Amino acid sequence: MTPEQALLETEVAIEMITVVIDGFEVTVPKGTLVIRAAEKLGIQIPRFCDHPLLKPAGACRQCLVDIEINGRAFPKPQASCTIPVENNMIVKTQLTSTVAEKAQEGIMEFLLINHPLDCAVCDKGGECPLQNQAMSTGRPESRFEGVKRTFEKPISISSQVLLDRERCVLCARCTRFSEEIAGDPFITLNERGALQQVGIYEKDPFESYYSGNTVQICPVGALTGTSYRFRARPFDLVSIDSACEHCASGCAMRTDIRRGKTLRRLAGDDPSVNEEWNCDKGRWAFKYLTNRERVTTPMIRGADGELHETSWPEAIAFAAAGLKDKRAGVLVGGRTTVEDAYGYSKFARVALGTNDIDFRARPHSDEETSFLSRVALNLKTTYKDIDVADQVVLLGFEPEEESPIVFLRIYKQVSKRALPVLSDAPFASRGSEKLGAVLISDLSKIANLTTKSVVIVGERLAETRGAFSSVYELINKSGAKLAWIPRRSGEPGALAAGAIPTLLPGGRPVTDPAARVDVAAAWSVESLPTSQGRSTSEILLALNVKNLDAVVIGGVDPLDISSTALTQLLNSFVVSLEISHSAITAVADVVLPVAAVIEKSGSYLDWQGSPRVFEKAIADSLSRSDVRILSMLADEMGSPINLPTVSATAREIASLGKWDGTPVAFEKSVSEKITELGEKLNLKSWRLLLDLGTLQGGEANLAGTARKASAHISKARAEKIGVKSGELISISSELGSLELPVEICEMADDLIWVPRNSIGSQVIANLGFVNGQVKVIKA
Amino acid sequence: MKFTSEQLKIMDSIISRYPRSRSAIMPLLHYVQAIDGYVTERGIETIAEILNLATAEVTAVSSFYTQYRSEPAGEYHVGVCINTLCAVMGGDEIYESLTDHLGIENHETTKDGKVSIERIECNAACDYAPVVMVNWEFYDNQTPQSVKDLVDSARAGNPRPPTRGPSKLRTWKENSEVLAGLNDGLAHEGVSAGSASLLGLQISKNGGRQ
Ligand code: SF4
Ligand code: SF4
Ligand code: FES
Ligand code: FES
Repeated sequence: MTPEQALLETEVAIEMITVVIDGFEVTVPKGTLVIRAAEKLGIQIPRFCDHPLLKPAGACRQCLVDIEINGRAFPKPQASCTIPVENNMIVKTQLTSTVAEKAQEGIMEFLLINHPLDCAVCDKGGECPLQNQAMSTGRPESRFEGVKRTFEKPISISSQVLLDRERCVLCARCTRFSEEIAGDPFITLNERGALQQVGIYEKDPFESYYSGNTVQICPVGALTGTSYRFRARPFDLVSIDSACEHCASGCAMRTDIRRGKTLRRLAGDDPSVNEEWNCDKGRWAFKYLTNRERVTTPMIRGADGELHETSWPEAIAFAAAGLKDKRAGVLVGGRTTVEDAYGYSKFARVALGTNDIDFRARPHSDEETSFLSRVALNLKTTYKDIDVADQVVLLGFEPEEESPIVFLRIYKQVSKRALPVLSDAPFASRGSEKLGAVLISDLSKIANLTTKSVVIVGERLAETRGAFSSVYELINKSGAKLAWIPRRSGEPGALAAGAIPTLLPGGRPVTDPAARVDVAAAWSVESLPTSQGRSTSEILLALNVKNLDAVVIGGVDPLDISSTALTQLLNSFVVSLEISHSAITAVADVVLPVAAVIEKSGSYLDWQGSPRVFEKAIADSLSRSDVRILSMLADEMGSPINLPTVSATAREIASLGKWDGTPVAFEKSVSEKITELGEKLNLKSWRLLLDLGTLQGGEANLAGTARKASAHISKARAEKIGVKSGELISISSELGSLELPVEICEMADDLIWVPRNSIGSQVIANLGFVNGQVKVIKA
Repeated sequence: MKFTSEQLKIMDSIISRYPRSRSAIMPLLHYVQAIDGYVTERGIETIAEILNLATAEVTAVSSFYTQYRSEPAGEYHVGVCINTLCAVMGGDEIYESLTDHLGIENHETTKDGKVSIERIECNAACDYAPVVMVNWEFYDNQTPQSVKDLVDSARAGNPRPPTRGPSKLRTWKENSEVLAGLNDGLAHEGVSAGSASLLGLQISKNGGRQ
């Protein structure tokens, strides 16, 4: 029996209950709350604390209704958000019961006693459940003549969230979210009676990666986002459904625009992906769109060595001349849309005649190439598999840092039914602690894998030779479900679009003649390059030694790849497609400005492989998607790729479909021999969710909640070096060094962990590698 | 400053009484008051750490219950019941005269650190109204004068013993230890039930009400 069947069976077994609400019968599954059953009938009972994804609290009392069961009436009105339906229950809401109506009015009057008349300066004004329900349920005029309770306003409970306590209706949505959903109980209801208020422990601010959700679900304007406060009125905003460009979790989002400017982003509602939540990065990291120096006009490098603004035709002609009949490669960033990645993929094959294309702007390996081409491409694991998993194994993957909604999904099962989690991390991160993850030193420690187990591999597994091969074996043996969850939003889509040296779009192997014929026919070209192309690092190497002459780069930070990436391409002809000035545009020969995510339409594939389609949020933007520009460039080069628009590209991708022939074989690699460390330590690292990533630029309030960088070592190692917790150590390689305060934790004595790209700890720039041996001494 | 290893050991022993460590939060807060006199930052941070809770969660509990103080208490913490029954029986008057006498207001402490006062809610001792509590020991049927004498005797270092409870009034810190669940060995001292509580029993033994 598959889990799906099992689920279906349990669904069949669910007992149904019929109740009468305001004279109408409704049949709902046992356990349904009265307030939900009423919704099914279209009857809306006013509420504040009730939230379908949080446990019932009965905190605000706004949802009072009259209930009788088997002819016996409750003596007093009851909170419909805490009472499950029962057979022979008769419910009368405010629509049919004057008692319920009066009770609701009374509660509303109580709530408004201490509520300020603040609407005119409140962010929530215009979209406020309290405002709305005061109109529907409250009295036209207040009878309260006393002095309202006031508080100092606002207090900042973190650099990104402000709290106006006198606006709070004490519904406990925010505190329940933080504890139940995020596992970060950093805000609580403090004090009692008339002084009850939401608060933090003064020294420990509300630094949860998910704090923005509390701002979104606060039913009044008590919690506001620092960056959005006083910026807009909801009725001036145009809301567009969009998708998050940051990670592969795939959150549905809502983008609110006013006159061509993004004012805020909110979590969208997609029960199968992010439910109604998102992370603070997705919510608040969008200032890069306007804050950093956007490139708006094409530029070419003149004889004087400087970039000069020029017209589109001239820039395209200049780029085409530099690429035509040259040996060129393509580097695609990790956050391109499926359509743009397809554009790069087709451009490489048709206009440049090469398979030298790679979307991995990060450390990677040949073993990974093989794993992606053969295994990752055909995975079918989804969020639902996590919901019913018997265990989850995390390999080279820190969900809270690298895919926050995946983390929430696992955490949900951990808190609900103690789902066992294993992780190969060198120490228990905050995320691991919340998941109660058991740390394993190597893959041989993984036991009891069944077809209901979910093994998640991250992109960092590429940094351990032989790891993908072991996982491959493990999965083949056990039949466990496998998921590949890279950190960036564009990678699953770029893989499917063939922005990789081994595959054409749809997973067609470049080395398979039938696959090539397939694609060549669809593209109306005579032939396609036949041999496997170069990977990111090989392209850079080839550029460096003049085996390649030119390179097309879309949205890549060279320091994400290696410390030498930038210098390796200095002697080549560089065409850069970019949204903002960057290290690459600084050395490029041609810079072609492209649209950022909200200025274009397109889609991502989330890690499940489901499309996350989004429309242009800024309808009148003049910026163009990469694919459109590549198409112009290809035309100019005389080898058209015919992808004039994003929608035309999407149609072509759909009609090409997926490869159903023989996939390439997986080439195994053997694990590295453990080299003698001597006095040195093995460096481990990963990126924190909030760090120095390019797309987080310009948002200081968000950055203020980033976890501070520290170096983790074992107690024995700290004693050996002679440092105490909090003291500085110096970590050095042949290429450089960095200094960080020490955090002592349980880990192997020969390991040291530091964040990969945080303030004071940029591993690639400072040490020259992400994995290697370092000398560690007291600073 | 950290708690001593001795003190941490006692905290561990308190935790070990409960099947779920989280349940120890309230006795531990009392224990912190036994050491520091009130709920200090180091108290909150230590409890959070050893119970594996967020500091905010400990703050929520300690700020909810009025028995936990966020500022130092006097050696003798005097609670004057101002709920309905005590109030009409003289509690309000006692409170007035006491603040005048000591020159401090609700939640304040005398300069010598000896006496602090607090308006408290019903102590379930209405049959002895008006009631005053010192370090949570009962002083029944009080008058403004008897309470003045009481605090004066306390400031002189020789407090009058409680009406019920141990034969000698112990300090705020000492009694906080008892609330933390540590045995002071004095349970046998004093009366177990006062005359007002036993009146009904007496009547029924005498054949009930005629
Ligand atoms: S701050 Fe908002 S969400 Fe939190 S308890 Fe108050 S009203 Fe509810
Ligand atoms: S979890 Fe990922 S997809 Fe969702 S909002 Fe955060 S960065 Fe965006
Ligand atoms: S919505 Fe039911 S008590 Fe708040
Ligand atoms: S009112 Fe004072 S003890 Fe009850």
